[in-house]
Amino acid sequence: MNMMTADSVRPARTPTDQRRLAGARRPVRARVPGAGALLGAGGAAASLLIWEIVPRSGVVSPKYLPPASEVLAAFVERLALQSFWTAVGDTLITWALGLAIAFAAAVVLGFLVGSVPLLRTFTSSTVEFLRPIPSVALIPLAVLIYGTGMQATLLLVVYAAFWQIYIQVLYGVVDVDPVAEQTARSYGLGRWSRARHVTWPSALPYLITGVRLGAAVALILTITGQLTIGSPGLGQSIDVARSSGAVASVYALILATGILGVTVNVGVRAVERRVLRWHTSVRGENTA
Amino acid sequence: MLEVTGLQKIYRDREREVEAVRDLTFQLTEGELACLVGPSGCGKTTLLKCIAGLMEPTSGTVELAGRSVTGPPPDMAVVFQEYGRSLFPWLTVQGNIELPLKEKKLPKKRRGELVAESLEAVGLSGSARAYPWQLSGGMQQRVAIARAIAYEPRVLLMDEPFAAVDAQTRADLEDLIRDLWNRFDMTVLFVTHDIDEAVYLGQRVLVLSSSPTVVQDDVSINLPSVRDQLTTRSDARFTELRTRIYSEIQNAKHTSAAAK
Ligand SMILES: Nc1ncnc2c1ncn2[C@@H]1O[C@H](COP(=O)(O)OP(=O)(O)OP(=O)(O)O)[C@@H](O)[C@H]1O
Ligand SMILES: [Mg+2]
Repeated sequence: MNMMTADSVRPARTPTDQRRLAGARRPVRARVPGAGALLGAGGAAASLLIWEIVPRSGVVSPKYLPPASEVLAAFVERLALQSFWTAVGDTLITWALGLAIAFAAAVVLGFLVGSVPLLRTFTSSTVEFLRPIPSVALIPLAVLIYGTGMQATLLLVVYAAFWQIYIQVLYGVVDVDPVAEQTARSYGLGRWSRARHVTWPSALPYLITGVRLGAAVALILTITGQLTIGSPGLGQSIDVARSSGAVASVYALILATGILGVTVNVGVRAVERRVLRWHTSVRGENTA
Repeated sequence: MLEVTGLQKIYRDREREVEAVRDLTFQLTEGELACLVGPSGCGKTTLLKCIAGLMEPTSGTVELAGRSVTGPPPDMAVVFQEYGRSLFPWLTVQGNIELPLKEKKLPKKRRGELVAESLEAVGLSGSARAYPWQLSGGMQQRVAIARAIAYEPRVLLMDEPFAAVDAQTRADLEDLIRDLWNRFDMTVLFVTHDIDEAVYLGQRVLVLSSSPTVVQDDVSINLPSVRDQLTTRSDARFTELRTRIYSEIQNAKHTSAAAK
């Protein structure tokens, strides 16, 4: 839904916003069942056709842009190769491990720092300095420490994904409805119980937004790291294919990274829908 | 049972001070159903939060069964004015009612019983698995009440619980409160700004003045203990009581206006 993409850069809505919005239903567009999917498939077919025609007609030299059929053939060929699947595996592992480390660190630190106002103020200037540093600027440092192994790329991935999640957790932890908090207190819920049953679910929409952003950024840096540092994975394969002049293979591998990106996004969305069933952003979609 | 003595609360922030409550003193005896009426903004919610141990008074004390209240007392339940925000949207109705019981470390079986009983009492047995946001406003309010009852409190505080429901639902909920109070042995302090509601519900009505707030009057309601929306409200004594309280509040407005 476009509402969600528009939201993706901002933290999720605050509870008060949600409540205000909860009443307002978005108009339901009349549509033919399956029409969207059909239209999408048609669009994809048209793009492929253009991709086929442009190099064949010589508008762009096939040396730089092989026709779609050639790239697809190269792609299918790759699917049979052990080395391709090893590269995919390496890429996924680097991505998942980096995201997991970033997630764990961001949640623990975010909750800790977020719930202690003094600590929050104390660290904010440091955070504001470190956060905008582009991860790729750390490449020389990563190579210095870890050489060209997977850890070097991992460092970049963790660094980039961490901030995405951490910032969201920081917002989420303080966006607890005071009425909910007081209710919990009046029913005798202690500090730990409140953290678990009130603060955590209140912060969850923010956390998921952070994970969604973090997952995308993590994939970008995984490929970047492999491409520039030469850690094993799809990025490295692309570089190898390029240096051996296998242009169609380069495109086939790029296609593979694209498919990974889409899969990651779909996966995170599925998790989001499950975990935030109760949240306005999700339950609105169900009723529409 | 509940003793409020010389309670004062001043909200302070950098620019200004608001004296929400000036000087409140009253007692509730065990098992009493008392209503608290007062104009909007006179500090009813503030008073309730002080009694519930959610807020520290500027001066004065609150004592519950001889013990001074410094934090939320274990045998007290509060139904908040903003009931919609007081229910947790990520938990089902059952989950909402059960959470405080889990915190009390009650065994699963007992929790199940309490949830079923309390939902039955408010007439929502079929909605245990629904989420609060799938229910209407009046139903949500009843869930909040069910959660309070399931907690088996000795003292129940209710902050304008019916402000947002329609007249018919409101009448039903009023009878529900009387009924629950009769069945479960509790002391109830019920806050409202509706004089009729206060007279209909209470054994006693405490009238608060407008700000700076003091207890203006303490009226005992000598209506029969079995009450009925039609007969009680048309009773001559009912009319007399509400007229008395109404003029009391009017008086309060004039005197406080004159004092300013
Ligand atoms: N957190 C706060 N900070 C500053 N002032 C406050 C705060 N909460 C309440 N007040 C002020 O205290 C006074 C009493 O507020 P309170 O909410 O107790 O009134 P109330 O009697 O419950 O009103 P209503 O019937 O509208 O619910 C008001 O003047 C209000 O502006
Ligand atoms: Mg109030």
